[in-house]
Amino acid sequence: MSGQDTLRIVIAGHVDHGKSTLIGRLFYDTGSLPEERYREIERTCREQGRPFEFAYLMDALEEEREHNITIDTAQTFFKTSLRPYIIIDAPGHKEFLKNMITGAAAADAAILLVDGAEGVREQTRRHAYMLSLLGLRQVVVAVNKLDLVGFRRDRFEEVEEEIRGFLLSVGIVPAHVVPISAREGDNIATSSERTAWYSGLTLLGALDSFFPTRDIAGLPLRFPVQDIYVGDGKRVYAGRVESGSLRAGSRAVFSPSGKKAVVRSVEKWKQPALPEAHAGECVGVTFTEELFVERGEVLSEEGEAPLAVREISASLFWLGNEPLRLSSRYVLKLATSEVEAVLSAITERIDSSTLEVTERHANRVENLEVANVTFTLLHPIAADTFKENPRLGRFVVEVGEFVAGGGIVREVRSDRPGGATRVVRLTAMMNTEPDGNFIDLSREAGPVEFEVSPGFVARLGEGEKVAIRLCTADQLERISRLAFGYGLGMTFRRGSEGNRVVLFREGPVSQAATEEGFPVI
Amino acid sequence: MDHLDALENESIYIFREAQRKFKDLAMLWSIGKDSTTLLWLARKAFFGKVPFPLVHIDTGFKHPMMIEYRDRMAKEWEVDLIVARNEEAIRSGASPEKGRFACCNALKTQGLQQLLDRRGFKGIFLGIRRDEEGSRAKERIFSPRDKNFEWNYKDQPPELWDQFNTSFRPDTHVRIHPLLSWTELDIWEYIRREEIPVCSLYLSKDGKRYRSLGCVPCNFPLASGASTVDEIIEELKVTKTPERAGRAQDHEAAYMMQKLRSLGYP
Repeated sequence: MSGQDTLRIVIAGHVDHGKSTLIGRLFYDTGSLPEERYREIERTCREQGRPFEFAYLMDALEEEREHNITIDTAQTFFKTSLRPYIIIDAPGHKEFLKNMITGAAAADAAILLVDGAEGVREQTRRHAYMLSLLGLRQVVVAVNKLDLVGFRRDRFEEVEEEIRGFLLSVGIVPAHVVPISAREGDNIATSSERTAWYSGLTLLGALDSFFPTRDIAGLPLRFPVQDIYVGDGKRVYAGRVESGSLRAGSRAVFSPSGKKAVVRSVEKWKQPALPEAHAGECVGVTFTEELFVERGEVLSEEGEAPLAVREISASLFWLGNEPLRLSSRYVLKLATSEVEAVLSAITERIDSSTLEVTERHANRVENLEVANVTFTLLHPIAADTFKENPRLGRFVVEVGEFVAGGGIVREVRSDRPGGATRVVRLTAMMNTEPDGNFIDLSREAGPVEFEVSPGFVARLGEGEKVAIRLCTADQLERISRLAFGYGLGMTFRRGSEGNRVVLFREGPVSQAATEEGFPVI
Repeated sequence: MDHLDALENESIYIFREAQRKFKDLAMLWSIGKDSTTLLWLARKAFFGKVPFPLVHIDTGFKHPMMIEYRDRMAKEWEVDLIVARNEEAIRSGASPEKGRFACCNALKTQGLQQLLDRRGFKGIFLGIRRDEEGSRAKERIFSPRDKNFEWNYKDQPPELWDQFNTSFRPDTHVRIHPLLSWTELDIWEYIRREEIPVCSLYLSKDGKRYRSLGCVPCNFPLASGASTVDEIIEELKVTKTPERAGRAQDHEAAYMMQKLRSLGYP
């Protein structure tokens, strides 16, 4: 058995800053590159009259991938004397950022690679920013290709200062900044004499100083319900302890419903009942009383419950081909909750490579941009800020079928207090749009009431119609009561442009007929 | 939590997520060590009772010991087993002598596709691992296939924070890969820890054993003295021979596995 658990790493950085060469070098210096493969590279390089290049290992595969997808990924596993490593994403994909993000989201640590001759470039900054948004805090910077600048200390220090400055602005303090030459092997596995001025760790030494981050200790209990299995006369609530620990016999509360319960048992198959389960464990839970809670509810200890959140402000990265649009409706997935939400504000739109705010109060966020946004949720969910609890403080945004963006929660706001009901006045004076009278409630997720003036009904009596775009089923219920009360007809359509009700009136007031199932007085 | 516990929990989470999101699920059980480990994890995830059927694609070329093991375990573990065969191809004499690519594609891929068409399964669990073969390394955990069974590996949606892509168009099915993060060594260490019974073809006999199980004509045992699970684990720690070295279809022609896989081979 290996001494320590596997550490999952991702390598980020600007194109051509030496990622392929570094991977080849890491395999070679840790004895993970089969001799046969090494000789193959040597032979090919000789045949082509080039000096030996580790990058060829990856480049050769790259060429193959022009026509297929073969990549020798057994090679993405390497070992130091301390533990095994997995490089989650190997280079060379077309949609590189999507893969970098997929890899980084699952990684324990990152190597940020910077070309010592070129310095910090666009993708260096973009990748660093994404690492920060993904909450990756174990970062080592490798300043590469120092052989090209004669291993000059002043040049290294220039690049170090530049990258440290940028990382600080996105909230990352690198554990180490290591001067290396991946091609020539300086400071990878062993300290190089050519950088005698550097007394820090080698790159592998720096990696060995990191920790696997799967376990989140010291945070309050969060147990999102994943599914409910009914059988053998009991209801078992299945889920994974995201943080803290779940103890049999403890008093607990579900959020956002607020239902309280006492944990009767914590179970795993073929094991005696557990006294407790810790972060990362998938278990089944039963309660002393019959309960009915749904997937998405989060169990926590009383006094430490997450808020029932109605509004989320977040930093978000957008990977969708279509822009993210203000006032549009999206599905957010946070832990096991899934909720429809309206994008109610785009406070700042940010260029992900320069961190420049390109627009305030924007209408859209484009592919590869980052933004600070606010979502209004159509029903409350349990959530934390990322700072309080990363596991319940991050979410993805779905468009159509697929995940198109991700965000980390900066602020949460719970249900509006009573009295904050929005009152919508329906009067004779209505805004007239080209296609008729139009009231947009699609961003009003909270309670709504209608006040109807006599002039409004009269105008409908003249044959006009009014379209109302809805946000919640609650609004539909109120409008149908209104239609019933005032003798109006209505149609309801749920389509690509959202939920729409059209109110109208046919014929004079005295006509007794029905329209669309509603009586007309 | 140790390494195997972390992998086990990750797989269980994926199983439960899929079970919640899809109605018509099935699991491919090739009788090998990986999909048998997968079956064990499914039993853990659902407290002993696997809520979906298991599918064995029988090419007619499987070793009798695999069939015996399959039927014995299916009975003992009370699983709903579907044995699917591409009868038409078998009748018309599909065999590796007429070309391995055509044979694999007809008996395995088409055999699976026919079953999916007939039974309308929307999600299939597979025991593939990233470290086992090139094209498998680029897989997502939830990986959609279109109605022609094809895999668009060049433009896969991102997958992060265990938020899997689970809503797909009606004409697609999704491959679900709970073992993607496991290595061959992890599988054997887990088999040892959990005491999962495996097909005896894996254990050395007369100086040879199978590293990977397949069809009799195209799968060859490798030289090995490892006759117990402990010995297999020791062997794997030092071997330089790839896992699928004995699988002829991987070596028949350049990129054959990748071509097979883009057409829907597991």
